[in-house]
Amino acid sequence: MRMRPQTALLFLAPALLLYSLIVIYPTLNGLYLSLTNSTGSARGAIFIGLTNYERMVHDVSGFLKPLGTTLIYAALVTVGQTVIGLGLALWMGQLPRLRDAARVALFTPGMLSLIIVGFVWSFIYNPLSGGLNLLLTSVGLESWTRSWLGEPGFALPAVALVNIWMYAGHSAAIFLANYLSIPSELLESATLEGASVWQRFLYIEFPLLAPALTINTALTLIGGLRVFELPFVMTRGGPGDATRVLNLEIFNQAFGQGNYGYGSALTVALLLIILTLTLVQNTYLRSRELNT
Amino acid sequence: MTLLSAFGLILVTVIYLLPVGYMLLTSVKSSLEIAVNPLGLPHTLNFENYIDVFNRMNYLRAVLNTVFITAVSSIGIVLVSALAAYPLARVQTRWSSAVYQYFSFGLMIPSFVVIIPLYSLMRSVGLLNTYAGLILIYIAFNIPFAVFFFTSFIRSLPKELEEAGLIDGCTPITVFWYIVLPLLRPVIGTVTMFITLSIWNDFLLPLVFLFDANSRTIMVNVYSFLGYYGFNPTTLFPAAVLGSLPLLIFFFFLQRQIIAGITAGSVKG
Repeated sequence: MRMRPQTALLFLAPALLLYSLIVIYPTLNGLYLSLTNSTGSARGAIFIGLTNYERMVHDVSGFLKPLGTTLIYAALVTVGQTVIGLGLALWMGQLPRLRDAARVALFTPGMLSLIIVGFVWSFIYNPLSGGLNLLLTSVGLESWTRSWLGEPGFALPAVALVNIWMYAGHSAAIFLANYLSIPSELLESATLEGASVWQRFLYIEFPLLAPALTINTALTLIGGLRVFELPFVMTRGGPGDATRVLNLEIFNQAFGQGNYGYGSALTVALLLIILTLTLVQNTYLRSRELNT
Repeated sequence: MTLLSAFGLILVTVIYLLPVGYMLLTSVKSSLEIAVNPLGLPHTLNFENYIDVFNRMNYLRAVLNTVFITAVSSIGIVLVSALAAYPLARVQTRWSSAVYQYFSFGLMIPSFVVIIPLYSLMRSVGLLNTYAGLILIYIAFNIPFAVFFFTSFIRSLPKELEEAGLIDGCTPITVFWYIVLPLLRPVIGTVTMFITLSIWNDFLLPLVFLFDANSRTIMVNVYSFLGYYGFNPTTLFPAAVLGSLPLLIFFFFLQRQIIAGITAGSVKG
């Protein structure tokens, strides 16, 4: 179809203008801010080159430790959510009559907001009146009760568990959609040939679920690295710095202490880490898809 | 064997939903009953806590704020993105694919990267802490995904209708308004659904850009309310239910479309 360039530009103008001003310009500005000592005051910022980045690689409490915490959190969420999602999807796949109802039910926690889920689970984890300890006590597991969010070794997995609980239903729905696209003759002939359930999973189902595995791990990994709301509500990074993930540190640097320059450098670092990890993960899993 | 497996799946699903049930049940218990009977079914339904929270939290105001922001943002996103998608779908030149690339770049930028400089920008143009500011941010942030959706949908539409319109003397704008836009209805539904889900539950952007007590959105409102009273179960649980209810109703009626929308496309490749 013919359209004069002027007309095309007219159609594009509102979107280009808003997007350039509100997304692209601040992104570039953020890259620049990360090279300054800006504190957001009117006096303006001084260009200091890569000083923020040099400071970062030696900054244990403000960067390296939160980065490690974020990576552990993302790993816990990615593995937990993928394994549980896969298990639930295969289970639902066997039971056509229950499938739709179970999928909707498992999807529900992910429809709630992170803020509300964070508050509700903070109460569930509460050592005195929280539901989890009361439940454990009522089934005779009193020795298991503890202050779930108060002990450094348990706080991070406890927060990760909430994240997994919310979104394992999403992962399961994606695996299930993939599973239902596998030709049923394949699964039937495997059973007729005498393959055990485990063999069928290992040699047929799991390889054919490779596309869903790629997209699921990519989504959970990115989500895990960008975690903010749950620890913000549930632990504020504590106890000590056990759950202080990078985004909490960035939020605190920028809006708590007004260190826009250093905060921006941290966001750029996080962006680069996310891009690198997803690139590595995608390349590895895509090549795996082709091989199977 | 199948029966046992079915029973097991039902059991797992029920256990999975226990926290949601716990939230609903505790929300209708009095503080005495929470102390005496924390895990069981409530003996009497107590809605006083709801009434109390409803009034103290300024709930209606926050819901109306959120609905208003969601509605205006959705209209803005749909109009601006559909307009932009039209030439991108119909004109095949080097610059049109360059513009398309430029928009898709935005899909990768995490909001934290943008927020710090955007905060200064909004403050300097006087849009900080205004509805207009937050709405403009929502429109701009959603342009990449909406343009992406609309472009691929318009490409799948036949061109003949538009060409007939042009021959009959329509201008490109009237062709867009009377022919293309009505055909986009199904995909406008999907885009609006995604926007509603994400804006209702969004926290970070309204926390940073719209913090005035009267213009707050629902999640910022829940957060600041529970920040003070969150350890008290008689306020926590009714507030949690009130904050989730509108979206849960929305999900209940549109479950098929929502699950299909979130799942679709992810496993086609």
